[in-house]
Amino acid sequence: MTKALEGIRVIDFTVWFQGPVSAQYLADFGAEVIKVENPKGGDQGRGVRSMKALPMGDWNQYFLVINRNKKSIAIDLKKPEGQEILYRMVEKSDVFLSNMSPHLLNKMNLSYEKLSEINPKLIYATNTGYGRFGGVSKPSFDMTVQALTGAMARLGEPGQPPIYLGMGSGDAYGGIMSAMGIAMAIYQRNKTGKGQSLDASLYGAQLYLAAPYLQSFLAGDEKSALQQSRKEVENPLWNLYPTSDKWVYICEENTDERFAAVCKALGHDLASEDRFSGTEKRAENNVALIAALEALTSQKSDAELMAAFEANSVVSSPINNLADVIKDEQAWRNNYFMKAYCEEVKREVEVRGLPVTLSKTPGEVNTLGPQLGQDTELLMMDLLEYEWDQIEEFKAKGAIP
Amino acid sequence: MSGALDDVIVLDLTNSFSSSLSAAFLADFGGQVIRLDLLPQTHTKAQKTNSHKEGTWNHEADLIHRNKQSVALDPNTEQGCKLLAELVDKADVLVTDWQLADLQALALDYDTVCKSNPGIIFGRISGFGPEGPDKDLPAIDELAAARTGMMPILQQPDQPPVYTGAGKMHAMVMLCFGVVTALIHRQATGEGQQVDTSLFAANMYGASLDLQAFLAINEDDPQRDRLLNPISRLDVSNPISGSLYPSSDGRWVTLTMPDTDRWWPLLAPEVGIDVNDERFDSHEKRCETNRLALIEELEAGFQKQSGSHWRAVFAEKQMSADVIEQFDYPSDDPQVKANRYIMELDHPSHGKVKSLGFPIFMSESPARLERLAPCIGQHTEKVLHELLGYSEDAIYQFTTDGTIA
Repeated sequence: MTKALEGIRVIDFTVWFQGPVSAQYLADFGAEVIKVENPKGGDQGRGVRSMKALPMGDWNQYFLVINRNKKSIAIDLKKPEGQEILYRMVEKSDVFLSNMSPHLLNKMNLSYEKLSEINPKLIYATNTGYGRFGGVSKPSFDMTVQALTGAMARLGEPGQPPIYLGMGSGDAYGGIMSAMGIAMAIYQRNKTGKGQSLDASLYGAQLYLAAPYLQSFLAGDEKSALQQSRKEVENPLWNLYPTSDKWVYICEENTDERFAAVCKALGHDLASEDRFSGTEKRAENNVALIAALEALTSQKSDAELMAAFEANSVVSSPINNLADVIKDEQAWRNNYFMKAYCEEVKREVEVRGLPVTLSKTPGEVNTLGPQLGQDTELLMMDLLEYEWDQIEEFKAKGAIP
Repeated sequence: MSGALDDVIVLDLTNSFSSSLSAAFLADFGGQVIRLDLLPQTHTKAQKTNSHKEGTWNHEADLIHRNKQSVALDPNTEQGCKLLAELVDKADVLVTDWQLADLQALALDYDTVCKSNPGIIFGRISGFGPEGPDKDLPAIDELAAARTGMMPILQQPDQPPVYTGAGKMHAMVMLCFGVVTALIHRQATGEGQQVDTSLFAANMYGASLDLQAFLAINEDDPQRDRLLNPISRLDVSNPISGSLYPSSDGRWVTLTMPDTDRWWPLLAPEVGIDVNDERFDSHEKRCETNRLALIEELEAGFQKQSGSHWRAVFAEKQMSADVIEQFDYPSDDPQVKANRYIMELDHPSHGKVKSLGFPIFMSESPARLERLAPCIGQHTEKVLHELLGYSEDAIYQFTTDGTIA
């Protein structure tokens, strides 16, 4: 099967999560992604397991999944000979991607000015924390940047602590944003023959992520910045309700017809009460209606309730947990989950698959993340066309292991 | 300087906020996006949006329809139907969030469209993906989020599940990425194709770390329970990573310092703990043996000072930690302005306003704001003339008989 990004070569000089996710999207669709790693330990993301910072199975899923379909070359960039190798890679590549700080990249002689001199067609992409302009360069992690955007502070019931959108949520979003920028730059370069420099920051991506609420705030709706109780939403028919076990989400317009359907499913004639008759009264008496609905839903199990909703065509879903979703047939049928062979445990493991489906050039998961430097010699010979004695010399000088 | 997508004609056939925004995103970077406003429309020439109240700034339309052109036509007339087909034939990309049956009713489904325009990239945000038993469920983000497994665990224990609204935004960028990736393939081969991303998939990717952990952890491993139930902020597995503490003025601080050996000597004195306190002098003790005691100490320590104090401390020591802010912070943050994440603009009817900007910086093909949301049908005549080659007379006739507006 052909691949959409066949023939695109990417130097992936990234660590941790956001940068590797960006390159993972490109690799999934067929780009040749080469991870450039420090021979001493490589990407810090490899060490997440030993840090016990995250729940982990018996294989290093944090690193191996976001670095799938990639090669790894180990180069000591502090050595001039190491730099020489990287410059030769730049000559032969389409994209250079890094989530190191621009300051550090300058110091390592890896600035856009330097690399575009070597290859004017190069697309030079960074993932900064807070953007290329404005001067802020403090350390950035997913959650500390999410904290600044205002996205956390508006979640949860009033008076409760703010809520993080999930482990890696901001990085994942920054990652797809970066991949989108790179794809546009490739498309543009294919027309003009010119490369360019681009940035997708964690801060910028996460502000965009907050768009529906942030834009309202900018227009003067101060409430959109604040926590709002589910007991006070304007349309009680678009809300979550407890059952005797799982919660359920009802997603219906506030019309008489849909209200009647919900009431019928609940087996109660709330619709006949004057205070709930008509769209406006239901919005006005929302608190009372939510309480009344909740009193009814809590008496049923979620299975019972879902069956009644289905019989009355009420748009709704049980609020599942992770144990449910990993068994969800819909996710498997669409390759949102896939299986891949894991060298580390010598068996097939289950991985996050492909959230974007291209009908004629679908993504693929061929290999999980590479071992540190596993492709160094091969790339030195085949791609960079060094002679064996030159390679020996690089090794002797410690530029490669 | 030119737009990255300035040779791309996009037809925008979308209803929801996030799908419409995905078409605007392509327009921000140069795509010639034609929004199809199908007639009959009710009375107004303004774009309809959920939040808009008459007389106020329609901030939602000016975000999700910016840089677009609008063509209004009635697909229920024979001529309107023909014009629609002609537009589709000229398009490089179609972006939609419609249900398949609705697309079929107007002969706008991929199978029909690709017969006369095989090069088209047909981008769709679905609810649950192109295959499987639930492929025809409506594209409602709350339904997708509910299925993804994260809603029961984001909040504190005994609190209701949380809908974040992030999934649909994740989906819109995924769709744009898929569309541009397909355009790159078309540059090389001339081949068009369908691109689908679903709200379900996007919600799953936003939850990627926990979800992947759950896939990888054996069924009998107790770590699983920690991924099925909300964890109290006073019970986090690493007291200085992923934790939340209140400061004296009610603002919360959050820390991401997983490598506690590195950060402890810097943090301890700031929160009034002796670095050599034997209870906390190793990573093991901080994150295992005396974890709960440390959380208690930090809870007390952070409450002794204000949020601003902590921000200054974090900045001075270059710690990856920050204060949790509300939207007023980014809307006045000079860093945000410098990077055009939020822009100030002169609105013709509402004066100086702030509006969401552009999340990607590109040196040679930057995003730009060329125009605000179009009125319904504002560009009908122009597009019919320039793109489809109709004469002024023909266009006049279409207007008179109600085919276009």
